[in-house]
Formats: sequence, C-alpha cells, structure tokens
Amino acid sequence: MPPKSIAEELASKQKAISIGEFFERNRQILGFDNPSRALLTAVKEAVDNSIDSCEEARILPEVLVEISKVTEERLKVVVEDNGPGIVRKQIANVFGRLLYGSRFHSNRQARGQQGIGISAAVLYAGLTTATPAHIVSKIEEDPAANVVDLFLDTQKNLARVVKEDVLAWDRPHGTRIELVLKARYQRGRQSPFEYLKGTAIVNPHARLVFVEPDGTRTTWERATPDLPALAKEIPPHPHGLELGELDQMLRRSSSKTLQLFLSTDLSGISRRGISDVLQKGEFTGRENPSAFSPERVERLLAALKDTPMATPSAECLSPIGPMLIKRGLKNVLGSLRPEFYSPPVSRPPKVHAGCPFIVEVGLVYGGDLPSDQPVQLLRFANRVPLLFQQGACAITQTVADMDWHRYGLEQKSGAIPVGPVVLLVHVASTKVPFTSEAKEAVAHTDDITREIELAVQTAARNMKLHLSRRTRRDQAMEKFTIIQKILPRMAQKASGIVDKPVPDLTRVITRIMDVVAVEAKGSGEDPAKPSPRTSLTLTNYTSRIRPIELFLELPLESVKEGFSAEPAPETVSQELGRVTFPLQKLTPNAKVTYTLTWPKGEEMEAEDVDIFVAGVDEAHLLGADPLPGDWDVRLPAALVEAAENAEIAAARPTPAEGDEEVDYDATEKKESFADEE
Amino acid sequence: MPPKRKSPLPTKSKVPALPTSDRAILQPTLDLAQQIYDQLYKGDIPRMKLPLRTKQNIQFSSREGVWRLGNQSGIRSARKLDGALMLLRTFWLVDFIEEMARDGKHSTLRELYYISEQWEEAKFHSENESNLLVEDLEVLCERMREDFRLRPEENGASVIGDLTLTEVNRKGQKKKINCRDDVGDGGYQLPANVEKEKITFSSHGAKFVLAIECGGMVDRLAENGFDEDQNALLVHLKGQPARSTRRFLKRLNEELKLPVVVFTDGDPWSFRIFASVAYGAIKTAHISHYLATPGAEFLGVTASDIENYKLPSDTLSDRDIQALKAELTDPRFNTEEWKSEIELMLQNGKKAEQQSLAKYGLNYVTETYLPEKLTEMGVL
Repeated sequence: MPPKSIAEELASKQKAISIGEFFERNRQILGFDNPSRALLTAVKEAVDNSIDSCEEARILPEVLVEISKVTEERLKVVVEDNGPGIVRKQIANVFGRLLYGSRFHSNRQARGQQGIGISAAVLYAGLTTATPAHIVSKIEEDPAANVVDLFLDTQKNLARVVKEDVLAWDRPHGTRIELVLKARYQRGRQSPFEYLKGTAIVNPHARLVFVEPDGTRTTWERATPDLPALAKEIPPHPHGLELGELDQMLRRSSSKTLQLFLSTDLSGISRRGISDVLQKGEFTGRENPSAFSPERVERLLAALKDTPMATPSAECLSPIGPMLIKRGLKNVLGSLRPEFYSPPVSRPPKVHAGCPFIVEVGLVYGGDLPSDQPVQLLRFANRVPLLFQQGACAITQTVADMDWHRYGLEQKSGAIPVGPVVLLVHVASTKVPFTSEAKEAVAHTDDITREIELAVQTAARNMKLHLSRRTRRDQAMEKFTIIQKILPRMAQKASGIVDKPVPDLTRVITRIMDVVAVEAKGSGEDPAKPSPRTSLTLTNYTSRIRPIELFLELPLESVKEGFSAEPAPETVSQELGRVTFPLQKLTPNAKVTYTLTWPKGEEMEAEDVDIFVAGVDEAHLLGADPLPGDWDVRLPAALVEAAENAEIAAARPTPAEGDEEVDYDATEKKESFADEE
Repeated sequence: MPPKRKSPLPTKSKVPALPTSDRAILQPTLDLAQQIYDQLYKGDIPRMKLPLRTKQNIQFSSREGVWRLGNQSGIRSARKLDGALMLLRTFWLVDFIEEMARDGKHSTLRELYYISEQWEEAKFHSENESNLLVEDLEVLCERMREDFRLRPEENGASVIGDLTLTEVNRKGQKKKINCRDDVGDGGYQLPANVEKEKITFSSHGAKFVLAIECGGMVDRLAENGFDEDQNALLVHLKGQPARSTRRFLKRLNEELKLPVVVFTDGDPWSFRIFASVAYGAIKTAHISHYLATPGAEFLGVTASDIENYKLPSDTLSDRDIQALKAELTDPRFNTEEWKSEIELMLQNGKKAEQQSLAKYGLNYVTETYLPEKLTEMGVL
C-alpha cells in the first residue's frame, strides 16, 4: 500500500468547526466567562428579547425576572413577558440555534441583533448543569401555550428537543423561559439589579418586576403609557457599504437595471446623485446588477463613496427623547430626591460609517447622591445598559477627557469627575460600533465621540447654570432671613435694653438688600416642586424708583394653548417660548407679583422659568438675570444649538461694598486651629 | 404657684434690679445695645468692632512675657447672616446672664449651648459658636467668662507629687490635701476654679513641675516613682490644656517659683500645646497675661530626639505637614530655635509619641531620657 502523503493525512483531520463548538470554547466572547457574569448575560439577553418583541408587536412591555437558588452553585432564571409569543415550530429555532434571528438583516435600531444571545444562554445552561431550557410560549390565536424543553446541540447548531407539551396558560400571549445555570448572584455595580434599573430608566414604557433569590421584590412601574415610535427599516446607506455587502446586494437584487437598483435598494441617493454615480463609474444605468464582475462592483462602490449624498434617514432610530429621559430618571432615581434634573439633551441625528446615530444625555444633580464619589455614569446603547468595560468605553473616555472644573465639579485630570451627579448617556444607532462582540463598550470613533462631547457639555452647562443660580438663590435667602427674621428681633432686643420704642426698619432693610429681588415660587404645598401655577414677585429693595420690564423664557411646551399670565403680558411667542410684560414703575419697598398659569395638565417648576429684567443693573438684581443686549437677535437658550462653545457667565460676585474692612465672622478663628481647650 | 413667666422683652421697670456687680460687668453690653439702637434709628446697618483673634493679630508683650491681642479689628455686621446672628445672640446671651444673676445661678458652657434652643432663629448651630460668642463677650467687657456666671465642663486634669494645698470644698470647708500622699493613683483632680479663693498652696517638696501631654506617660512616671526620686510635680495636660490647667501651672510658677517643663509627643500639635502653655493661645490672647507661663520650657519629644534616640516613628500626614507650615507663619514660633525645630521635623517627615520611648524598656524614660534631657536643660 502506498504511504499516505502528509497532506492527505492532514486532510483527514481537517473538518469544519461548528459554530456551537466554537462558542463553547470561547465563552468570554458572549459574556459567559464567569458565574456572576453568566447570570447577568442570561438575564440581559432574555429581557432584551422580551422588550424588543413587545415593541415590535406594539404591546406595552411587562417583564418579570425571577432568580432563585437551586443549589449552592446553580441558579434558576425565569424571564416572563407579555410579548406576542412565538409560534410552535419556531420556538426550537429561536432558543436552540445560534445565529438565528429576525433582526440581523434589518437595518434599524434594535436591542438584540445577531441572534446569538438567548441561544447562547441556553447553550451555557446545558453545558454547566445539563438541564434543558424550559420554554412556555403562547400566541394570541392559539387556545393553549406550547411547552418545549430543549438543549442546544453544539455540533449541529440545532435544538435537541427533549419534551413537547401544551399547557393552559392564563394569559393571552407571552413567553416564559426558565434556565438553570451555574451562576452566582450578587448586587452591586455589575449585577442583574443594576441592569434592570438601567433598563427601567431608558425604557419608561416598560413595567419591570424583579424577584431576587432572597425573595426581595422590586417593581419599576411604567412612567409613560406611550410606546416608542417603531423604528422603520430602511435600505442601507451607500456610505456605510462594504465591498462584499454591495456584491451580495447586487447578486440578490430583484432590480433589473443598475439605475433601478440605485434608486430602490439603497437609501439617500437623489436622482441627481444617481446620474453622478453613473457618470463617475462610467455606467449607463442599464446594466444588469446580478451579473457584475468584481471589477465593476469595486468601481460602483468607489463611485458611490465619492458622491455626496443626503444623510441617512433617522426614521430607523428610536431615541428616548428629552421628556421621557427626564421621566425615566425621575421614576427610578426619585427616591434620592435630586435637587436638579437637567433638561435632557437629544442631539440631532448624525452619521457614522453610513449608519445614522443619535446621542442623548440626561443629568441629575444633588439630593441624596453622594458628593464625594465619582459621578455615576449610566451608559446605554440602543436602550440597553452597558455594565462592563467602563474604562474602555468611548462614553467614559469622553466624559473623563472633558474639563469639569469649569462646570463646578472636582476632577483629577483625565478621570471621571467627582460630585453628586448621575450622568446618562445613550447612543442609538442601527449599528453601534462596539469594542467587542459582547457589546459592552462603545468603540472610540471621532463622529460619535464628538456628539457625546457636545451633548454632555450641554447638560453640564445646564448643571453649572443651576449651581450658579442656587448660589444666588442662597445669597438671596440669606438676605431675606436677615431682614425678615434677625433684624426685627435685634431691633426689639436693643430697643428693650435702652427702653425706647422699636425704630422703623425700612431704611436699614433697603440698605442691607440694595437690590430688586425676584422670588419665583410654585403654587403647590412645596413651592419648589412642580405646580400648576408659578408666581414671580419683584420687590424694589433699593432707595430709588425703578422702571422695570420683565422678560421670561419658558419651556416651549408650557406656552401653548391654555397658558396665561396676570397681569397680562405684552407679547407671548409660542415659537420661542418667550413672554414679555409692560413697563412697571416700582417705588422703593414696593412689590409686584406676576402669576403664570400653565396649560391644563402641565406642572412646572419655578426653576424652569428663565427670568430677565430690564431697567436694573446686574449688581442690584437678585433672583434674575439682566436682560441681555442681544435679546432680540438671539434664540432662547433651549433652542440654541450653536451656543455650544459659549462660556457660562461666571456666578455673579457679591457686591463689593464693605470689602475694605475685615469681616470679623469670617476670620480664621472659625477654622479649626487646634490651639485651645 | 404658676410658673414664672419670662417676658420675651424684659423692660427695666418690671424686673427686679440686677445686682450692682453684675450690672457693672455687663455695662459694655448696654453700651452696645445703645449703639445698635442708634444705628437702626439712623437707618444704618447694625455693626460693631471687635479685635481680631487671629494669628496675624497677636503681639508680644515684653512687660508680661506673653503674646496678647494686637490692634487689628474686624467688623461684625448685620449685612451678613453670620454677623447678624452673632449680634442678635449677644443680646440673647446678655439676657440669659442677667437672668442667672437675678436667680443667683451659674451654667456650664454646654448648658448655654442648649439654652439657646429657646433663642428661635438665633440658636447656636454648634458648641463652637457658643464658645466663640462667650469669648467675644470676654473681649468686649474685658472680663473672664466666670464673671458671666459661665464655667467650662469639669476637665479634671490631675496633679501628682509632693504639694500640699488647701481647697475650699463644696461645703465651704477648708481641706488640706497632699497631692502625693492623700490621693489615689489618679492624683489630685483640678477643679474648674483654681483661683486663690478656692485653692491656696501650703507647702511642697518639689524642685520643678513636669507638664505631660498623655495620661499613659503620667502613669508611667508615677509607677516608676519619678515624682519622689526627682522631686517632680507631675501635671497631666490632657492634650490641649484647659484654662484651669494653664492657670494652675502659672500659679505654681509664679507663687512657688517652680520651673515648668513641658513634655509632649513629638508632633506639630504638641508644639501648639507648648505654645499655649508658655506663650498664650491665639483664641484666648485677650487673657494670656492671666493664663500663660512665660518661663515654661519645652523638653521634648523634639525632632532631633526622634533621630538621636532612634525612636519608632510615623510618617507625617498631609494635615501634620499643613500644621507645621502654618506654625512657620505663627509669630509665636518666630524664633531661630523653633524655626529650625519645625524645619527639621518637616525635613525628616517623622513624628513620634512620648510613649515610643518604651522601645528601650519601661524604665528608660525615667532612668535615661528624662534625666539626660533635664540635665541638659539645667533643671536637674
């Protein structure tokens, strides 16, 4: 027998590696590399699927997550949703096959994409505990639910169904999956709890219930009854195409001519663009796309890339939107009683590598948040919390690279700033560039980083503005305390000692205040909380008659039908959210109160009102800003996109009067100079 | 009998007259009331002038050999909340003192802090605030807080050694006590009042006074019989010494002509303990002439002791370094000796406790360290 050649011998050993086997050996790629992380990944994949399927079916998601202990090393994970359910013959494919899914080929924003996640969890469960995944799913049309127990066969990448049954289920539709896996339960930064909390913030339309192994039950109620608009599927944008992708598209296209292909199979090309592409690539437009040579494909791609095109439509995206970001944050963080919610920032859509993306940012300040800890950064991609790889993430790097001192936070250079702040950053895209397949960190790309930076800067400026307003408000409060409480008592005591009647204090009060003060208050029990009416009281605590004009900038949604003000405004601009009032003459110690009534159902915080006063210089104005000189030509801050690099006016210094003398009560005896008993 | 209703606004005509001595003591506060009233009447913002009790405003008095308040002053004004509150509190405090005077009562500083609960918006936010206001009143009236019927908590600093003194006890009886033979292991406890009407010195067999920072070291010296062997009077400072401890040291020094030697840990805070004993503390600079012992000398632990005796040491913390740097701008430490001492400590970056001498055994401090140091200083 002739000896086998080495090549032949090797050939006998060469065989395809199944996808399942590959992932079995490379668990870390999918996020199953250790027991606590495996648990989080399993929960995350199941919940992402649940919410995605609910949204597609236009159902308000209700998801129950229950984790219980089986043995010391094994946990049972149950995720149940009220989604549309899965038809019987697809259950095995959805849960028992890697790379099987409906969203991979669709060009729109979704949580899951590759169809790996949940089947990888089934695979992991089977590998670590030899227990099949138990799936119950019911579609509305069927009278009963289907029950399937299955393993994932790694060699064939197919489900191995071990049991099939039907079950009477008391809900109209939904899916329940139970997995037993080797896992460890923990709370803390990278835990199912944090993941669900984050999910609740960015999915305020979902109701989430979480039961922990010790029986603790947490419910995140829904903060809005409105489902997010369903992202539309759009054809790929030419600027994001790769050679192979274009080649495939051409081959599969049902378009008979290149001209037709360009106008229907791709998005963003105008008629003018099509003729440009044809001209640049030296095509006639009548070529049959399915018979393109590699050389032609390359020529076409070059021509496409070389032609300027409209940015891809953002209809394929589903941003959370400023109002819901605020509601989501309030819903989940409300118990910390933050003193300030920055107006959330939703940037206009931009494009990275042919894929549209949107960056959104929310910021919460103060309350019970710890002021000596780094800012809590909540990172999200396509409404999914990112819990791992914080350091490697473009979001983290962008935040750390900013100079936070100018916004009033402490920061070691290049580190996350320190302060009582929760910062939410959401990147939504049809294709978020991640650093790895486990989708834990957004990769650094100039386009996205720039947008994150702009959005965070806007939120940070709002925070800074709030802080300087707070400082001014505190100074105002201090003066009011002096004139309303301390001074009258002091006069009473001094007069009592010298046995004379209490003198009139008006002049002293005017001297101490020496400002026109604007006090904004809500009409509710707590004047600082949102309320249906807001009152602004202007008091002239100066010794001169002051001609005063009041100008307001209000949130746009508040100046619609139903808004009114008393005394009547001179002008109301619904487009700009601006209200102006006629001139008033305020004699010393006189006051005037303006009452703003918000449209029915709207509640505003006194702080939502930006107050400007003409007729009083900055040094003699308290609780408002002097009317800027460019008021007429400038857009309101809420509408200003271009204000990005504007410097925040530094907090106004206190009046310099009395500076030449030493303030006795501010001298160093107040410091702890440990020099006495 | 219905409880005596305290009018919030006692007018002179309705309440019994203040004892004459108390009236005289509080006269400056009546002048202050008149001043504030006049300012209010004229429409001016109420304000008063007070000498600053800061390290920039202490001056060496060569006549008394101690550091006293300088001429700089600051303005307490109702323009600011802190100033307005302190002005108002001054009147509340005067009310309270007058009430005590009429009732023949006294209160502790801590009770004063709690009394202020009745002062509405003017109540103290911390005991530090109330203590500062009492000191302000001392400065304003040029009196001591005891004159205002206010006394500190019993501090209980102790004395061990051959000193016989006569104390007038609570029952008004004179009691002769020898601070070595008539007391337990804890020694003789100093009362808050150490003035002549309370304590007189009868006799003693001491050659010098050793003022010691830590209780553990006092116990060590007592157990080793250091007081008897070396004829030393041991006084426990208990960290920053209370006024009564400092006053007692001054009386021992002035009346019995005993040299006072201060023995502390070797760290920046101990330097300040010594300064308040020998030079006068900043916060009580207005009464330094009454509390400070100009002749007191610093024994150690010095920065060079840490090196010379190879004592176990700790690294200076950031706060320690800050304190040392502050001392370099403190006029009381503005001598060649202190500057080099502070700079040496900064340079070595080390501090040590007095009890670290136990590295060489329990007897080392009494048999070697103290005799060596005291001989060097010329005390032994």
